[in-house]
Amino acid sequence: MRRLLFLFLLLNLGGCSQLGVHAWERGTLAKDDMALTADAVDLSLDDHIYFSKEGTSGGRGFAGGGCGCN
Amino acid sequence: MQLNHKNITQSLLGASCTLLGSNVHAQKWDIDAAILYYGEPDRVQAIEAIVSGTKEYSTDHSLSLKVVVDSLTGASANGAIEQATPQTFTRPSGNGQYTVDANTTPLDDTFRDTRVQLSAQWTQPLNRQWVYSGGANVSREYDYQSIALNSSFSRYFNTKNTTLTLGASLSFDSVDPVGGRPVALSEMVVDSGQFNNENDFDTAFNLTRDIDSENRNTVDVIFGLTQVMSKRWITQFNLSLSDVDGYLNDPYKLFSTVNNQGEAISQRFESRPDTRFKQAIFAQSKYHFSRSILDASIRIADDDWDISSQTLDIKYRFLLNNNHYIQPRFRYYQQDEAFFYQPFLSVNSTQPDYISADYRIGRLNAYTIGLKYGFKNKKGNDYAVRLEYYTQTPENPGVILPEPLTNEAVFPSVDALILQFNYSF
Amino acid sequence: MIGQKFVDPVSQQHYALTQHDSFISASFYSMASTCEVLIETQDTFIAHTLAKICLGEVDRIVQKFSRYLPGNVCHAINNSQGRPVTLDDESLRLLKFGQTCFDLSDGLMDLTSGILRRAWYFDGSDNIPSQAQIDALLPFIGWEKVTVNDNHVTLPHLMELDFGSIGKEYAVSKLCELSLRYLPDVSVLINLGGDIQVTHPRRDASPWLVGIESSEEVIPLVRGALASSGDTKRFLLKDGVRYSHIINTNTGWPVVDAPTLVTVHSSVCIQSGCIATIALLKGSQAIPFLESQDVQYWVRDSED
Repeated sequence: MRRLLFLFLLLNLGGCSQLGVHAWERGTLAKDDMALTADAVDLSLDDHIYFSKEGTSGGRGFAGGGCGCN
Repeated sequence: MQLNHKNITQSLLGASCTLLGSNVHAQKWDIDAAILYYGEPDRVQAIEAIVSGTKEYSTDHSLSLKVVVDSLTGASANGAIEQATPQTFTRPSGNGQYTVDANTTPLDDTFRDTRVQLSAQWTQPLNRQWVYSGGANVSREYDYQSIALNSSFSRYFNTKNTTLTLGASLSFDSVDPVGGRPVALSEMVVDSGQFNNENDFDTAFNLTRDIDSENRNTVDVIFGLTQVMSKRWITQFNLSLSDVDGYLNDPYKLFSTVNNQGEAISQRFESRPDTRFKQAIFAQSKYHFSRSILDASIRIADDDWDISSQTLDIKYRFLLNNNHYIQPRFRYYQQDEAFFYQPFLSVNSTQPDYISADYRIGRLNAYTIGLKYGFKNKKGNDYAVRLEYYTQTPENPGVILPEPLTNEAVFPSVDALILQFNYSF
Repeated sequence: MIGQKFVDPVSQQHYALTQHDSFISASFYSMASTCEVLIETQDTFIAHTLAKICLGEVDRIVQKFSRYLPGNVCHAINNSQGRPVTLDDESLRLLKFGQTCFDLSDGLMDLTSGILRRAWYFDGSDNIPSQAQIDALLPFIGWEKVTVNDNHVTLPHLMELDFGSIGKEYAVSKLCELSLRYLPDVSVLINLGGDIQVTHPRRDASPWLVGIESSEEVIPLVRGALASSGDTKRFLLKDGVRYSHIINTNTGWPVVDAPTLVTVHSSVCIQSGCIATIALLKGSQAIPFLESQDVQYWVRDSED
């Protein structure tokens, strides 16, 4: 019985450690503000500025060219 | 009686979608527009305008189109070293000269370029687990053009809490500099009265130039993982590789050869390797507190030019009443110099195959601090303005300066102001 | 299989939950019909959550648009005495949809025609109204007399608006939207008294099986929506003539030679509902009309 209980607890822990949320709990994450690509226009303008002023580019998205500004 | 019945099925479907509101977007474009001013005092000024539209066709099928126009004017460091005496340089076109005052960073003031970029991106689910996205991008400016194609596949796991993405982009660029491409390591021809006539100068100048355009091809691959951590927390990890092949010099950049008295005895055109392999790890987390959102990202990158860099970017959005927000931002960037970076070449050294004095691939620190304010009105239109201050501080990577040069700004810092207005409707 | 009974603490509505082999069904009574939500899951927590969401939404729609309740949008418009009524976005969209239906059906489908109920009682009896009774009502019918602007509607004095003809189908489609938002990966079938929509196909792409009212026929439904118009019980019978409850808004008289029941399959429930309603209003032209639409349909005639 004890062993069973232990096994049950272990399984339960496994269940808890599963990352993520249920579909109906996504209200907050669904806000525009919370999108990883929110303010995409700002990000693309920033990419252009830093691409032309610094030695590293990309990371968030493709590093590729498109600009002779370096 | 024979009646003609018009087919109203599609019209009714359109009306139904409008009624249900969820697909109201199906009927119209979502437009994001912004205009940005970037200005370095006494140096480069740029205006960049961007209009991007997204249209959803049916569930999760969307098309995005983007137009970017930017215009650059002003002066940019030409790479030569600052001197205690005035210096004269030939303009990139070979037509005319410019003179830089004593104790002043040599700037080439002829920069003027307009760039137009068009992009299109299509995204659609393939089934309940897979999403495809593909796009194309063309960009054209006076001396540079680029065509790029990209594709990515994403797969959902764990009831869409985990998304894995594999994407690739190919870009085909061609460089056609003003006045032709300078021969790497060749000495800049400056007319200081040594030529009998203009033809002699042109002959000498043309010897240092290749007139055909050169290509630069880039392959980018990104492997990404997006993970929903909790109801308030989402994270992303990217691993990206980039392989660049072709003409990688900056055709307008010089390096000075300096004698033991710190005097520049010649100005030569830089020479960079013709391949570069870059890798980067990028991680981002967004957390929604009750009335604020923290957006933090880091990037760690290095490449086979030995430019390794760290970037930290933090944006903290305070959500105010009535859909207003205010968002301070702090960005820190640090990079180590490329193996061939030298602020100048000493006459005592042998000339290496690769050398560049472009401070942007030297050792430097940079900070951005900024503030953005925005709000959404009752019609759902977004307005925002951001003001940022960017400062770059190049550092000496350990070069011993000849005595007279210690009085000169060999590693001048660069400051810039960024002002941007956004409008979405 | 009798389900366990529960009460939604928010709307105070009752619902029952029944576990089946591959899905759980939640059933409740609303909009004068039996309603069902079939959820392809074995997780009762998910089923309870969705059932409560659906109950809440149906209740919200009834409270807001029912012609029988005082103080709501419908009541405000019908008691405006010809003055403009400022409306919220959802109400305006419903009215604009009504406008589209009116236009697409060449005036056959009209949200102001409900007033004819004062003359016609479809109780299976032989109470046929007099032409005078009908003539007295006709001036107060006609969508073209209604003005819908950016944020308000103006309904002439003594006219009446009734969302009844699209309300149930609208609710079905709204429930599907909510269901997709909360359970994007679960196949859910919404059935409000025979008006049905499926959020997306089941895991093994097998159909949901749907029976048609008082018939042996079973329609397999993989995706999309079914809606029926017509009624096997609501009619009048006099001198061997069967008067259907579908009334031609121009004449004020029931449509002649219309099928008893038209069932239409299309993408969205309100779309199916409108096509079925317009088909019935076309009377003897119902089948040619349905033939010219890109939909699957089932028709039953009064002789059956």
